[in-house]
Amino acid sequence: MIALQSVGKLYNEGRPNEVTALSDIDLSIARGAVTVLKGPSGSGKTTLLSIMACMARPTTGRVSLEGEVVSGLPERFQTRLRRDTFGFIFQRFNLIRGLTVLENVMLPAAPTGEAHGTVRARAMAQLEALGMAHKAATAVEYLSGGEAQRAAIARALINDPVVLIADEPTANLDSALSERFLDIVRAERAAGRTMVITSHDPRIWEADCVDTVVSMRDGRLLEGVR
Amino acid sequence: MRRRRRDDARRSGPVLAGLGLLAAALAAELAWAGWSAPETRTRLEGERALVGALGLSDTALFTEARYTRHPSLADLNTPFQDHPGGFDHFPSASIVPVPALPESGRLWFAGEEEPS
Amino acid sequence: MTPWLRRQRALADYTLAALARRRGKNAALVAVYALVVFALASAMFFAAALRHETTQVLQDAPEITVQKILMGRQDLVPAATVEKIAGIRGVTRAEGRLWGYFYDRTNGANYTVMVPGDKAMEPPAGSVALGEGIPRARGFTWDGAPLFLSRFEGDLQKFEVVRTFTRASGLMTSDLVLMNGADFRAFFGIPEGLYTDVVARVRNPREVDTVVAKAGALMPEMRFVTRAAIQRSYQKLFSWREGLLAALIGAAVLAFVIFAAEKASGLSAEETREIGILKAVGWDTRDIIAMKLWEGALVSGGAFLIGTVAGFAHVFFFGGTLFAPVLKGWAVLYPEFDLAPQVDGVQLLSLALLTTLPYVAATLVPIWRTASADPDAVMR
Repeated sequence: MIALQSVGKLYNEGRPNEVTALSDIDLSIARGAVTVLKGPSGSGKTTLLSIMACMARPTTGRVSLEGEVVSGLPERFQTRLRRDTFGFIFQRFNLIRGLTVLENVMLPAAPTGEAHGTVRARAMAQLEALGMAHKAATAVEYLSGGEAQRAAIARALINDPVVLIADEPTANLDSALSERFLDIVRAERAAGRTMVITSHDPRIWEADCVDTVVSMRDGRLLEGVR
Repeated sequence: MRRRRRDDARRSGPVLAGLGLLAAALAAELAWAGWSAPETRTRLEGERALVGALGLSDTALFTEARYTRHPSLADLNTPFQDHPGGFDHFPSASIVPVPALPESGRLWFAGEEEPS
Repeated sequence: MTPWLRRQRALADYTLAALARRRGKNAALVAVYALVVFALASAMFFAAALRHETTQVLQDAPEITVQKILMGRQDLVPAATVEKIAGIRGVTRAEGRLWGYFYDRTNGANYTVMVPGDKAMEPPAGSVALGEGIPRARGFTWDGAPLFLSRFEGDLQKFEVVRTFTRASGLMTSDLVLMNGADFRAFFGIPEGLYTDVVARVRNPREVDTVVAKAGALMPEMRFVTRAAIQRSYQKLFSWREGLLAALIGAAVLAFVIFAAEKASGLSAEETREIGILKAVGWDTRDIIAMKLWEGALVSGGAFLIGTVAGFAHVFFFGGTLFAPVLKGWAVLYPEFDLAPQVDGVQLLSLALLTTLPYVAATLVPIWRTASADPDAVMR
């Protein structure tokens, strides 16, 4: 479903602090599969996820979605793609302070012009499924780590994306909450969602629901396992 | 401070309503100005007739200043004279330049030029 | 509601949530802004009303006023001058005017004592007609109280009051004491055959300057003041005072400019990160910019509406009491008059644009680059 061909990413090109985050990545993500990218910090996992989700452009190479090349599209199309196709869960959740949980969850749907009532109902349904409905009107600053993650997941799912991407989802959670996260992965996988997760937590990449594990080091892929 | 709000209250609702109210208030005020225009016009016409009948040439503002009460009356050669007992001080109209007065005198010599 | 409208409303929701984070600061911003607009709008409405009334009402004032100058001071005009002026081609009517100032030692006010041009309006002997300001200045407690004037130590002249002008004509008549011609001459000791000045009416307004030129040649010791010149003085006077008021609120304007400049100087790290997050969850550049436009529009539009509505009410329903002294000027005898509700559309539009456009631009400019950058770059 997602194909990366010879993707490379160079930051601060031509300047003294130039750094190669990725080089020559060839990767295919199958539809409906759960893929885990593992590797030490600094290996380029976050950069790879950003490029995959059309949040950054590769310096070299191409990204294709269902056969269509998307990495060269103008910003407007990339944004729409990002909004409709991908749901991104950030490592630090990146919820917007000062807004309630519900407002945060409804945020990605704001530019779509959908009826407020419809979006709200969907958001509440997501929150209920994640056990967060009672916190809907709470400002996000007052959430615990686990609650914040679930709010971030709900936000990522509001537009019913085809692909769910999670960057180090369990990095700030204890083992009980990590297990809760894996339950969510299992549920989404059963619902047919494609998922790409980065982690350096063995619990994640050794979980039964994971289909493919890909190793990365220094911006390159090592041979895939499994 | 923890604050809980009703889930379904949209923030923009009251604010847009408030702005709408203000816009309506402004429209109402402007409409009032338009609606009271005939009444104002009548009053001004009455005042104008009074001015004509009495032969007034100036308004009654700044009555303490000799020449602002009657700009027609200013002593051209007395700067800042505002009040019979007043000291020279910054007057009401010192920054406004005196309007250019048409020629008020002309010197001619008999035999060479005659007034027309 | 169309999708576009729904989208706008959703963006507005977000904008308000973002503004509510710094509730106190933003409330102060709107308050100061509204105050500035209030003062400017008040000055604008007040001055426009005065200008309008003055222009309208002086239309029937005499076209030319002729004064005799002797030794640099104004002197009484002999009756012969009236005939001379009446004889100039273009002058339809010339008459001598009798009027003068009376300085009232009891309250420090100047009254304008005058004999009306229209004989029908002359009060009978021993009585006067007063402008609305004089009963107030003298503290008359009952209707029909007589007017006592004292010209010098030991002098007391009594006049019955037959008429008091109302505040409807207050702008022009507030300080008037209209007197009978004979009484006037007796009161001021002015013999027959002399007048304070001469007023001339000219049929064709375009001829006024020609008439003045001719008259000036004929009577070089006379000074001529035209109605047009007086009207221009008033226009300038009110405009100047309007500007004075605007300058007086300079402190508030300055506070506001500082606020706005701080906003426009750039984004905080948090704001940048926030825009990055919005872009990452699927807002494109247009949405970010629309959201910022909403922010600018809500603050400046809100301030404009609050300030203008309040300013209008302040001037036309409450007489502009806060700023009246600056605009009306200082006086012992303060005229009270109704303001003609007059709105200059062009000025109002300019105020609206001046209030909203710069502020919106100041809000929009710093985010331009961030809004169009890749979210990844912004969030790092």
